[in-house]
Amino acid sequence: MENAWLIPLFPLLSFLVLLLFGRKLKIASAYVGIILVLVSFVYSVIVLFERFTAPTHKAEAVWLSIGELQLTAGFEVNQLNALMLVLVSLVSLLVHIYSKGYMDGDERFPVFYAYLGLFTFSMLGLVMSPNLLQTYIFWELVGVGSFLLIGFYFYKESAKQAAKKAFIMTRIGDVGLFIGMILLFWQTGSFEYDEIFAAVGQGEVSEKWITLTAILIFIGAIGKSGQFPLHTWLPDAMEGPTPVSALIHAATMVAAGVYLVAATFPLFAASETALMTVAVIGAITAIFAASIGLVQTDIKRVLAFSTVSQLGYMMLALGSAGYVAGVFHLMTHAFFKALLFLAAGSVIHAVVTQDIEKMGGLWKKLRFTGPLFLIGTLAISGVPLFSGFFSKDEILMAAWAHGNYGLFWLAVIAAFFTAFYMFRLFFMVFSGESRSKMDNVHESPGVMIGPMIVLGVLAVVAGYVNTPWFGAFLGDWLTEGNPALGHGHVEGPAWIMFVATAVSLLGILLAWLMYSKKSLERDWLSSRAPISYNILVNKYFIDEFYKLSFVYAAKAISLFLKFIEIFLVEGIMKAIGGITQAFANTGSKLQNGQVQTYGTVAFVGLAVLLVIFALTGGYLQ
Amino acid sequence: MDLETLLSYEWGTMAPEFIILGVATALSLLDLFMPKKVDRRILGWLGFTGILAAIVALVSLIGHDTTSILFDTFRLDGFAKAFKLILLAGAALVLLLAIDYEPKEGMKEYRGEFFYLFLTALLGAMMMSSSGDLITLFIGLELLSLSSYILAGMRKKNLQSNESAMKYVINGGISTAITLFGMSYVYGLTGTTNLKEMSLILGNIADPQHVYILGLAFFLIFIGLSFKIASAPFHMWAPDVYEGAPTPVTAFLSVVSKTAGFVILLRLLLAIFASVPVQGDGAEPLPLLLRMQDYLAFLAGATMIIGNVIALRQRNVKRLFAYSSIAHAGYILVALTTMSYFMFDAIWFYLLAYLFMNLGAFAILQLITSKTGSEDIGQFAGLYQRAPVLAVGMGIFILSLAGIPGTAGFIGKLNIFMGALIREPAHFVLVGIMIVMTVVSYVYYFGLFTQMFFRPAADDSKLKLSPGITTVVVICAAATVLFGIMPNLALDFFHQNFNGFSDFLQ
Repeated sequence: MENAWLIPLFPLLSFLVLLLFGRKLKIASAYVGIILVLVSFVYSVIVLFERFTAPTHKAEAVWLSIGELQLTAGFEVNQLNALMLVLVSLVSLLVHIYSKGYMDGDERFPVFYAYLGLFTFSMLGLVMSPNLLQTYIFWELVGVGSFLLIGFYFYKESAKQAAKKAFIMTRIGDVGLFIGMILLFWQTGSFEYDEIFAAVGQGEVSEKWITLTAILIFIGAIGKSGQFPLHTWLPDAMEGPTPVSALIHAATMVAAGVYLVAATFPLFAASETALMTVAVIGAITAIFAASIGLVQTDIKRVLAFSTVSQLGYMMLALGSAGYVAGVFHLMTHAFFKALLFLAAGSVIHAVVTQDIEKMGGLWKKLRFTGPLFLIGTLAISGVPLFSGFFSKDEILMAAWAHGNYGLFWLAVIAAFFTAFYMFRLFFMVFSGESRSKMDNVHESPGVMIGPMIVLGVLAVVAGYVNTPWFGAFLGDWLTEGNPALGHGHVEGPAWIMFVATAVSLLGILLAWLMYSKKSLERDWLSSRAPISYNILVNKYFIDEFYKLSFVYAAKAISLFLKFIEIFLVEGIMKAIGGITQAFANTGSKLQNGQVQTYGTVAFVGLAVLLVIFALTGGYLQ
Repeated sequence: MDLETLLSYEWGTMAPEFIILGVATALSLLDLFMPKKVDRRILGWLGFTGILAAIVALVSLIGHDTTSILFDTFRLDGFAKAFKLILLAGAALVLLLAIDYEPKEGMKEYRGEFFYLFLTALLGAMMMSSSGDLITLFIGLELLSLSSYILAGMRKKNLQSNESAMKYVINGGISTAITLFGMSYVYGLTGTTNLKEMSLILGNIADPQHVYILGLAFFLIFIGLSFKIASAPFHMWAPDVYEGAPTPVTAFLSVVSKTAGFVILLRLLLAIFASVPVQGDGAEPLPLLLRMQDYLAFLAGATMIIGNVIALRQRNVKRLFAYSSIAHAGYILVALTTMSYFMFDAIWFYLLAYLFMNLGAFAILQLITSKTGSEDIGQFAGLYQRAPVLAVGMGIFILSLAGIPGTAGFIGKLNIFMGALIREPAHFVLVGIMIVMTVVSYVYYFGLFTQMFFRPAADDSKLKLSPGITTVVVICAAATVLFGIMPNLALDFFHQNFNGFSDFLQ
């Protein structure tokens, strides 16, 4: 564990090698990247196993001394960090392998792998940081990596815009984080997590400051994790290559916001207001994004909104003091969402479109992708025995146990939406007949299927590390020796599990009736004319009922929310931009090239200052 | 003064200045007598060697005790050494750019002048950092300014360059007049031009009317000198002059001349106004300078806003960098405003970082603009395809200017933030403006970034690298990253060698 700092350096090495020699290595750059990340992964697993028995390891050295201040840099391996190391390096490894097939033939193949290396390095560095400043540094670096990868297809105008938007939107959040960090330093005299928590624990920081700094840090998380209202960059970020969406915009980077809140959890736990803010924003995001997901027709955008919604869940968990639930869902989500994205990539690879209206009937043609996508869909929908079921259950329990009843019901509705839109997606892509002419549909090569199978297995079994039936191993381990993080397992009423299961099955049933059954029926009608009147009426009745009561309502809600998004959120952004632009225009006009104007401005400036000075009797203070 | 006293001075403390003076004189004579057809670039290399020799001389003086000669007009203290180091390093890099500079219409006839004027300007800047007297300070300032005026108009057959020089002279004249007017008040009140004596006399000043006049003098001096650092309200010359001047001169103005501006500002403000006691509401009198914090904060904020926001509209890269350099002056003014106990560390480090990131950017800018003759931002399109190494270099400089972690620019900004927040009362508003403006600056910096990496190249021809520019880019990129990752290299050096400027007024 003493040498754990080596873990991020392998991907960095990969980045440097590929940056310098990528052009010569060509296709071999994939192997360079894969092997180096594999080393990181293997080492991360070893570190994780060591951490099961050994205590937390921390090493630091003075990095920067300003005046008498000494800032340190180093690394730390605690439970959360060890878990994240494995998670990040595993998903990164699988994406590295998968991209070998997906990006095949791209002219900038080595550059892609170089960027992946840079991103993996920053992300691994982020999860090992023992202090806020270092976290912030890597936090920005993952942003740069994400920026480069979203804009990878730079010849597409939309990709370029998306990259810029992502960078600037997340930066708005980072400003919050930065201010929060500096204020915490001001209050506690340290950037170190341990020392900050100690100061908070001993009551050296007043309640007001804890709340303020925690919320500022949370603003950083809002930006990074695409929480309402800074979420609009994430769906646009889907312009990047699909493996990137899987790695950065599903499994790792966007989860960094959740990680940050988890890593600074004792600070949040010390302020009920801060916790409440996190929970409310999380729940709003969960339901908001899920309802928008209902009407999307681009396969990646559906997944993007579902990512936003799931991240909202994690925030809700953390905000309900459910530390374990949040981290647990972060883990299972990484697996099943990466799986879904990779499977979506495989679909796109096969049919060369992202529009689900044009797909259909792919189940028979994509023998591997189909079942794997189904596993991911089942997991995210919270169907019992799949990983998502256990973690979502844990979140609902936490929300209930913390007394957030309103938010609890919002989360239940969001779970229903999730099951519905995910299966709508599944049925529209895989069942029925193709809705457009598709030639030459073929299953993806082995290098793409392999990583998906690994994730598929994990999406099923990852939930069993923390279940109400076989013991909360993960929870106990995560909270071991750290009472500030709460209990390993939250007890809640048993009916929650049944409600969760029921809404998820209901959502699936509804999706099936609307998107799969309907097409079946058409076949059935054309082959056999006589059908029972009752059944038809019933069928009709159900369809109409759902259409009227549910679809329209859902559509109205989601249109309304979209309206809020377009006019309110974007409107505010536009207004700020507009004011800035107007000021810039005026400023440029004043710059008219007349040297007398320049002199006048200086004189007027001087005169104004002197007048103020004279009027105030000299001093403002 | 007889010969004996004259000889008794420790002239060795002036060695770096003598070297620059000697080389400048030698260059002007050589230029005069060398046959017309000999390429004058050799003079540039001589000048470069001279600057290196001066750096060596300065480094050997670092351990030297604080000394002052010539009746305290020339001082060799930690402050002088620390800033001279930055000035010399900056000038050396600028000279490398100048050697490779080749405008369209050529500059064969006056390339010689080009080099020794750089040296005299540098000499002026060095004198400013070492002087302990208003007279020498002012002479250093004028030496720098006059040389710069000519340098800006060095492309004699280029209309823009002429216009630029003209505007620079006129604005410079106004600024000098204002500064001198302010200085005259201080002289009138103290009867001396020596900064040390002034500070002693002013420390005992009691008459509120006198303090009031000193307040006026403060504004006059500050506004006058804000011309040199290109901050509000005396910033408007910068875009026009930067645009018209030859690129190496622009680089010089934005780095070396700006550093010199901060040097003189710090000397004057701290020597004169920090010692004036003002009876406030509290029992303890506060220095006048602290009383002026709000005004300084206002000017710093205005400078940051003007620089960053107007930069958004620019399509000419040199103008863009002019506004960006205004913005950076604003950031440094924040450090000055807050006057935390590590103000010097923060300003020195920021200027060091700014030296590398800005000169590196200018090197690449010179290469690209001189190839096509156009200064449109579109010239950067597809740089990554044409010259990946250059694009990565420029990427590093832009990231650093924007203050992204991992670069020296980030550490520089971090120091300033810490300084502003660590003191009671913390300057929240100012820090808020600075952070928001940093975000605004991302828009135009990353616009350049997008051009380089995400746009197809308009023309695919290879860029020819010259040795001078390559050296500058490599040194600057290495330093930017090095000081970003291991800032303690610079900060420890600073702490160990300059006594934290405790000898400022000894």
